[in-house]
Amino acid sequence: GFLLPSIHSAPPFFTQQPSPSTSTSFSDQWIKLILAYARHRRLFYLRVEDAETSGNDWDEVLKNERINRKVLPPYLEHILSLMVAKNVAVYDPAKQTRAVLLYWRLPEEWAETLHEWATSTGQLNTIMTFYDITDPPVESPLSGIPLPLLRRAINVLSKTNQAQIIAVADGEGVRFFAPTGK
Amino acid sequence: MHRRGVGLAAFDRHEQSKRQFAELSNALSKTQIEHLQAQLTQFRTALAHFASTHRDSIRRDPTFRHAFQQMCSSIGVDPLAGPRKGGWWAEMLGLGDWQYELGVQIVDVCVSTRDRNGGMIEMSELVRLVSKLRGVSGGVIDEDDVMRSIKTLQPLGAGYQVVEIGGRKLVRSVVKELDDDQTVVLSIANELGGRVVEGDLIRSKGWTRGRASAALENMLIRDGLCWIDEQDERDGRAYWIPSAMQWNE
Repeated sequence: GFLLPSIHSAPPFFTQQPSPSTSTSFSDQWIKLILAYARHRRLFYLRVEDAETSGNDWDEVLKNERINRKVLPPYLEHILSLMVAKNVAVYDPAKQTRAVLLYWRLPEEWAETLHEWATSTGQLNTIMTFYDITDPPVESPLSGIPLPLLRRAINVLSKTNQAQIIAVADGEGVRFFAPTGK
Repeated sequence: MHRRGVGLAAFDRHEQSKRQFAELSNALSKTQIEHLQAQLTQFRTALAHFASTHRDSIRRDPTFRHAFQQMCSSIGVDPLAGPRKGGWWAEMLGLGDWQYELGVQIVDVCVSTRDRNGGMIEMSELVRLVSKLRGVSGGVIDEDDVMRSIKTLQPLGAGYQVVEIGGRKLVRSVVKELDDDQTVVLSIANELGGRVVEGDLIRSKGWTRGRASAALENMLIRDGLCWIDEQDERDGRAYWIPSAMQWNE
């Protein structure tokens, strides 16, 4: 199971604080908690909607039943904006502020993982569809990765000529190359 | 902190020794003086041997450490004096370094928790966090060790002070003093497990609502000494003082 920090049992933690120093301290802790939980459960999206409904993937973190407290939607929206400002999340879809894609692993790190997987499964130089990557027959570190994140990782690789996006019959495909030594 | 010339360290200094022996020689015979010198040398050797044999125990075990420190003060030696002051004594034990290291760790914990507790941390919480920082290899430290270390921090002018409120020891690490009203709020908070509302101050202290509200709001917004809970079932808004809360970890 996931171990929640002790501050999660403090009622005030679920209220946005008026004192700037306390507010920063609390939001830093919320961000750390959210990313750790997302990494633990492999959750990629966090939405204001998750604070408006019950029985979703984020209940364990956004609510504490035992002390009858929860993060209210305006506070969550504020925390999302801070995460985007810190580059640990991006608004997805773009041009709205109620949902983010989480970077509990940075695109650069995903790029490395992606290339390692392609290499170790002997798939360099072969054309693959995005689907082959997100839903491989054998579970991989890339399983279930959202397409926007996959695209970003491939973009990072293409900058160093380790990947190339290719148009395939019904969508997008990619080919990975061995790194050229410098 | 800069205690001078008691015990063995004094006898070491050449001028003082000369003068004192000159005085003594008026009263004692030469053989008696030689006998005294031999005794002191023997005592010093035994002490040095004791110090190096038990250095590890002194560093690791608080009970042994306290007994040792009591023995030292009864013979007029200050083992806490730093390398430059205590000379060979402090070097024998390396206690000066140990004390300094503990002081740095205390400051570290106080500074890193200041944002969330406004510079007031409960003693047991401080001991717990410093112990965590030291890990298993650091040996056990207790409240007495922390209190003694804080005393040595005072000349640094950093405002570190132990205050006792409502029967609990708190360590204050900011220069700003608590005003009287805030001290009262803190002691009420201690009794109530951390949660305070205006009504508590009105009922138990006879304050007006204005006075209660001002004290709590100042602590919240101006001083960052407490937190606000806006989902409180009983009163809507409730103030929480972190140093008075029970933390389970």
